[in-house]
Amino acid sequence: MLETRNLTKSFGPIQVTKSVSLKLEKGERRVILGPNGAGKTTLFNQLVGEIIPNAGSIHLDGADVTALRVADRARRGLSRSYQKNTLFDALTIRENLGLAAAVALGKGQGLWSDPLQSPEVRETVREVAALVDLAPNLDATVSAVSYGIRRQLEVGIALATRPKVILMDEPTSGVGPEMSKGFHRLLKSLPRELTILIIEHDMDLAFDVADTITVLNYGEVVFDGLPEAAKGSQLLKDIYLGAWEDA
Amino acid sequence: MFQHTPLRLTTLALLAAGSLAYTFAAGFFGLEILAEIAILAILVIALDLVAGFGGMVSLCHGALLGVGAYAFTVAATEAGLSAAPAMALAIALSAALAFAIGAVCARSTGIYFIMATLAFGQMGYSFVFQSPLFGGDDGLAGAPRPDLGAIGIDLTDSRAFAIYAILLVAVTYLVAAATLRSGLGRSLVGLHHNEKRLRALGLTVWRAKATAFAISGALAGLAGCLAAQHTQYISPGLLSWTVSGEALVVVILGGLGTLVGPILGAILFVVLKHEISALTPYWHAIVGLILIAVVMSRANGVVGFVEARLATRKPQPLVKEAKADA
Ligand SMILES: Nc1ncnc2c1ncn2[C@@H]1O[C@H](COP(=O)(O)OP(=O)(O)OP(=O)(O)O)[C@@H](O)[C@H]1O
Ligand SMILES: [Mg+2]
Repeated sequence: MLETRNLTKSFGPIQVTKSVSLKLEKGERRVILGPNGAGKTTLFNQLVGEIIPNAGSIHLDGADVTALRVADRARRGLSRSYQKNTLFDALTIRENLGLAAAVALGKGQGLWSDPLQSPEVRETVREVAALVDLAPNLDATVSAVSYGIRRQLEVGIALATRPKVILMDEPTSGVGPEMSKGFHRLLKSLPRELTILIIEHDMDLAFDVADTITVLNYGEVVFDGLPEAAKGSQLLKDIYLGAWEDA
Repeated sequence: MFQHTPLRLTTLALLAAGSLAYTFAAGFFGLEILAEIAILAILVIALDLVAGFGGMVSLCHGALLGVGAYAFTVAATEAGLSAAPAMALAIALSAALAFAIGAVCARSTGIYFIMATLAFGQMGYSFVFQSPLFGGDDGLAGAPRPDLGAIGIDLTDSRAFAIYAILLVAVTYLVAAATLRSGLGRSLVGLHHNEKRLRALGLTVWRAKATAFAISGALAGLAGCLAAQHTQYISPGLLSWTVSGEALVVVILGGLGTLVGPILGAILFVVLKHEISALTPYWHAIVGLILIAVVMSRANGVVGFVEARLATRKPQPLVKEAKADA
């Protein structure tokens, strides 16, 4: 469903992505682990087209999308959430979700009707709001709600496009353990055919939702396999222990 | 997002009723001022659509108005079209040029967008200024007013013309409000706040910006047609960047992103211009002082000022939640 082949990216002299090859099957849930600065977000940025790789290729649903622009990839069913909230702050939560759904349905340039009133958009907003637990907050303005709620909206917007593949960049960063657990319940409740790639720091929770695990370190894939194998990996322990000591 | 609050609806109703009532009370001079206000109001509604809602602050709207005025005049005098098709042609030309400008400038934001639109505006100005077909410095005379004799209306009469101009303001307002409620308008407001996210959601950003700019340009073109019909003489000065600058001042004075604010701004601006210029040649300085006061008050123009005053009377929400993003 989503594949990279020898993806490589440097910022100046520093190689942030080193020949990364990944393959996600349809419906696979893969967690990416790795210490700060490992290049996880940079990998996402390349997958969606916000950063152009120096070498290698990206394939979505069988097609080479390496040369496609961000919006074109999105229209093929690729969606992402951001590590740092990237919302429409002055709008309400309903408008945020509605805008995302409207654009994904190709109504973002229409002239003759209000997409937010269309049955499809309203249905999507209702569904996504229930999923990410935002139903009671739909009419609150983003700038007036708590960080935790914004974090939920961040993922909600990505879901509102009804993607085939969703990339989530540390969806639970900065929220409390309760909310974090709720989040993982949400992940499990998502349709099974949705392909999910998720960057997560909390290992226990990561193991809870992952079918497969990829570990990045200094831009390199140092582990790629089943969670059970990852748990026993000395390498993984070293990397995370190392990261702990640095912090 | 765009909202029709009760206050704004009341203001609109009062403006409509007040201006129509005034057409029957006013003398020739008053009616001329009313037409002048209407032309400016159309231009500033057009500008508010892109600048206030979309964050695309344009300094070429004067030029788009000028293109409309010239295209209308040339089509009606040289090509001998009657007023309605000449207007349609002029509006379409302004829209097409605006689409092209919007498409080219879509990549730039902020000050770079302003500068790029200024450059386009100046190109238009010098083209018209140099070209012999357009009468150069001397301008062009002879723009006709639409012939509504068939329905018993004589637009050469100032009162009829003022009412016609007010109706066109209403049409402009409705077009702008409908645009803001459309998918394009929703995207336009979204783009102002977070272009990156909209792109990641699958929006073709340049096309959305260019289309919104084209609609705005069409309305500016309409203002140009009306300006040509009003004075029946046009000069390259219409395309000058100072017209765009004045329009921007009016939008800010009235309240960016409110639609109704710019109409109030237009009234204020034209009335002040006539009242103060009768007293002192330094009327620009007075308007400048008022603008500074408005900006320093940190309210969003007249409308923002009034709305903020009314809002402070309402009870505040009990909980102000955290603002910080990690
Ligand atoms: N646009 C950029 N220009 C230059 N260097 C960059 C850029 N973006 C990221 N980097 C660098 O690339 C490296 C990887 O950054 P990235 O954000 O991908 O890490 P990450 O794995 O997501 O880390 P974290 O867990 O902190 O989010 C870092 O050293 C970062 O400083
Ligand atoms: Mg990151």
